[in-house]
Amino acid sequence: MSKSLYPAPGRRLAALAFAAAATMACPAQSVSRWSIDPARTQIAFEIDAVGYPRTHGEFRKFDGRIAIDFEHPDRSRVAFRVDSSSVDVGSAAFNDYLRSVAFLNDEKFPEVNFVSTSVEKLDETRVRVTGDLTLLGVTKPLTVEVVVRREGEGGRQRLVFGAETHIDRLEFGMNSGYPIVSRDVDLKISTTALDR
Amino acid sequence: MRTLPPPPGWSAFAVVMHGLGAAMMFALLGLGWTMVHAGLDMARTFDMFQLHKSLGFVLLALTALRLAGRARQPAPRPAPAPAWETALARFVQGALYGLTGLAILLGWWVASCSPLPVPTRVFGVFTVPNLPAARPDLFAAARLAHEAAAYAIAVLAGVHACGALKHALWNRDDTLRRMVWPRS
Repeated sequence: MSKSLYPAPGRRLAALAFAAAATMACPAQSVSRWSIDPARTQIAFEIDAVGYPRTHGEFRKFDGRIAIDFEHPDRSRVAFRVDSSSVDVGSAAFNDYLRSVAFLNDEKFPEVNFVSTSVEKLDETRVRVTGDLTLLGVTKPLTVEVVVRREGEGGRQRLVFGAETHIDRLEFGMNSGYPIVSRDVDLKISTTALDR
Repeated sequence: MRTLPPPPGWSAFAVVMHGLGAAMMFALLGLGWTMVHAGLDMARTFDMFQLHKSLGFVLLALTALRLAGRARQPAPRPAPAPAWETALARFVQGALYGLTGLAILLGWWVASCSPLPVPTRVFGVFTVPNLPAARPDLFAAARLAHEAAAYAIAVLAGVHACGALKHALWNRDDTLRRMVWPRS
């Protein structure tokens, strides 16, 4: 059940700042800190393979921090840390295989990290987040367009983020199965942040 | 060339191995077809591939044991039938043994040539090494050969079963019965 506090035409991230600041009762501070709600967060991926069904998977363990400056959106920050061993494609044997050196190599690289380097507001509901993705110890820039929606009335405020992007796994040295297994990995991230 | 006279029926070992071999082959053909053609999700497909490989290696060992048993104990005398029928039955039986071994070895080769090297863990107990001289560029050919052997087995198993039913329903002899009940 989501409902915006603001009618569509007037809805602005800047307006959120006042609401958030009012909620937190500290209007002097323009940066608000949000913690992600693991129950409402999904870090999912999909990958194609020739002659095999598309693989859908998720990472079950992660944490993330989001700091939003509603007055200066470009000063906002986001960081995600994902536990490589928490990969889940719905089969224990397949999970084990994906954790092996062939793919995630979780013993050597237990984390996948994303840290934003810049945030650009595109319009009332969209921001472009650029950052560094570190996978298998290789760091590459990644730009993600994020849709932001406000939820929650009366109680605790929530911000809902949705992002879809794709990465080229070969860039990170994850070569197993290529070209049978495609180099493009689609990422679908949705998260809900609660104000702290 | 046998010096021993043919026994009156199959041993319990032969009956059990025949039943087990047939059930496993049936499962392997069903799994093999399903995991390639049914378009299930990747997690189910992956599990089916692992089970298919595990069952295949167990059947390879069973078939070797069975052939060793067969070499030690001659087959019972076939029921009276025209020479061409007996020859056809012998050919189908021999081909089923041969193709079972061949199909499994080809399957091993497919797994060895796979461009996505998934270790073959037989029921999670031990890892089967890859065959030598396996190369990813041979994967498609290996898979085609494995598939051809599997379809040939399906056809021959059908002929074999029809022969057994003909003995039971048409000739009304004990060919099928003695394959189900060992000699006492």
